[in-house]
Amino acid sequence: MTNMATVVQAKRPSRYLPAGRIGGKVLIGLFLLIIAALILFPLIVTGFGSLMTNAEITAGGKLIPADWQFINYKEAWVQANFSRFLWNSFFLSATSTIGTLIVASMAAYVVERMTFPGKALFVGLQAATMFISIGAVVLRPQFQLMVKLHLHTTLWGVVLILISAHAYIFFILLSFLKGLSRELDEAARIDGCSNAGIYWRILLPLLRPALGVGALFTFCGAWNEYLRPLVFTLNNPELQTLTVGLSYLRYGPTAAVQTHYMFAGACLSILPLLLAYVVANKSFMQMTAGSLKG
Amino acid sequence: MIRLRQTGFSYLFLLPSFLLTAVLGIYPIGWAIWYMFFDYKGYGTASFVGLDNFDRLLRDTLFWDTVVNTFVYAGGKLLITIPLALVLAVILNRSFRGRSALRAIVFLPTIISSAVMAVVFYMLFNSYNGLLNQYLLKLHLIPERIDWLGPDHAMLTAIMIAVWGAIGNYMLLFLAGLQNIPQDIYESSSLDGASRWQQFWYLTVPMLGPVLQMVIMLAIINSLKGYESIMVLTDGGPIGKTEVMYLYVYKLFFPTPSASFTADQQFGYGSAVGFATAVIVGLVTIVYHLLSRRLNQLQ
Repeated sequence: MTNMATVVQAKRPSRYLPAGRIGGKVLIGLFLLIIAALILFPLIVTGFGSLMTNAEITAGGKLIPADWQFINYKEAWVQANFSRFLWNSFFLSATSTIGTLIVASMAAYVVERMTFPGKALFVGLQAATMFISIGAVVLRPQFQLMVKLHLHTTLWGVVLILISAHAYIFFILLSFLKGLSRELDEAARIDGCSNAGIYWRILLPLLRPALGVGALFTFCGAWNEYLRPLVFTLNNPELQTLTVGLSYLRYGPTAAVQTHYMFAGACLSILPLLLAYVVANKSFMQMTAGSLKG
Repeated sequence: MIRLRQTGFSYLFLLPSFLLTAVLGIYPIGWAIWYMFFDYKGYGTASFVGLDNFDRLLRDTLFWDTVVNTFVYAGGKLLITIPLALVLAVILNRSFRGRSALRAIVFLPTIISSAVMAVVFYMLFNSYNGLLNQYLLKLHLIPERIDWLGPDHAMLTAIMIAVWGAIGNYMLLFLAGLQNIPQDIYESSSLDGASRWQQFWYLTVPMLGPVLQMVIMLAIINSLKGYESIMVLTDGGPIGKTEVMYLYVYKLFFPTPSASFTADQQFGYGSAVGFATAVIVGLVTIVYHLLSRRLNQLQ
């Protein structure tokens, strides 16, 4: 064993790195450092900026606040209505995540496990909604529909629209279901389990990892959603989410004197996802890498 | 009998998905295709005008300006993002200490709302009391304030912000592709005396071919469609310098104060423009597809 190791090591020139190699390593390290700094810089400024007075931000040139103004959060919470925005964002994200997972998993279950006429058509329809985009045009008929259903004065209209865009999650769950053996279904059926029972008692628990990634994806998407909540709350400031409320501050007449609130609001919007990301960044990354395979 | 029951059950389970997709996904597209042949302002009656909206579209220089802006924006974003993401992926595919932390940092912007970041970047970049100018002045890197969001630089600023938000996503996609490349070809090639650079150019890039093509396709579509960040950052201004085509469509349906070209909602014309943007994106996708297939055949 030791002999082998010494032989291998002797063959590798790593002990006598040529100057070029070392220079390359330093360059790569420098490059990575600069990239990381550029990526983190705006976030660090946001974090510290949210703890400065407005005057301190406007005077500028400083990164770390002289006096940590935690009161900014309290004021943003009360005066700039961020408590309301935060609740709205949470409500929208939670309900649309639950809805998306239920709707998409039910559809994925029957498409994968049952035979029925029109299946190919349904799958094609789902794929089409993922690829055709005519931009903001669809917001208008969607809005008019919600007015007819009297859902435009609540966030439920936006929730339904977000759930309707479940094609991506549907395909993820579908490919995951394909990997689950049918033997469990058959065994449960022989034991007298109904179709709905197989979905609820057998497959949903087995789907848990895929549902977790799907939930993360949907929750993030809804939390960061801007256009739909914007359009639906044009006449309803009480329904604004964090993203919308924040952009209103930026275009508001008092924007210049509210910079510190804007930083605090941005932090409030970023922090929940950031905390979740620190705990489970592998799962977050799965949702992107998964799209390549699925 | 069993078959019939299975079909019934399937339709029942499919109903929520189908209903939502049909009513909120398909119907609005039908709505747009219907109204693009009408003059309809959102109130009163809609009058049929045939192809008038498309005639107007062809002569609408403002719209074609936004098409040009869209290509500048998307092109600039791609030209920076794709090579940078690829290089980062290759570096972060090697094992070294701090690798997973760096991966996490590079991917971090992907999880943050582009609207929220646009507000933050506005506070960084605006010329009057923007933080970036103040930092740069203090470090004596620039002699005077740069008008980052002015007519000369606004597009460049918008592109840089888009790159910031996109790079982690594509880095990760490339990383997933790189992990499918067998490691032994690198070992044998370095025995043959290939340098790191040669390995990257003659091994990594060709082996990554299919993934590269798919990711670039995805990136093209995404960057042509993106307008949220620009909307919050500049709202298409100043003087229409960052007005992209999807933002133009948005303003025809929901006029903002800065939409100088329309004070009214124009549902008929807006539908026609929306349809045209979808066709443009479709055409770009097809051209790209044909080109990359051609390239494959040449190899």
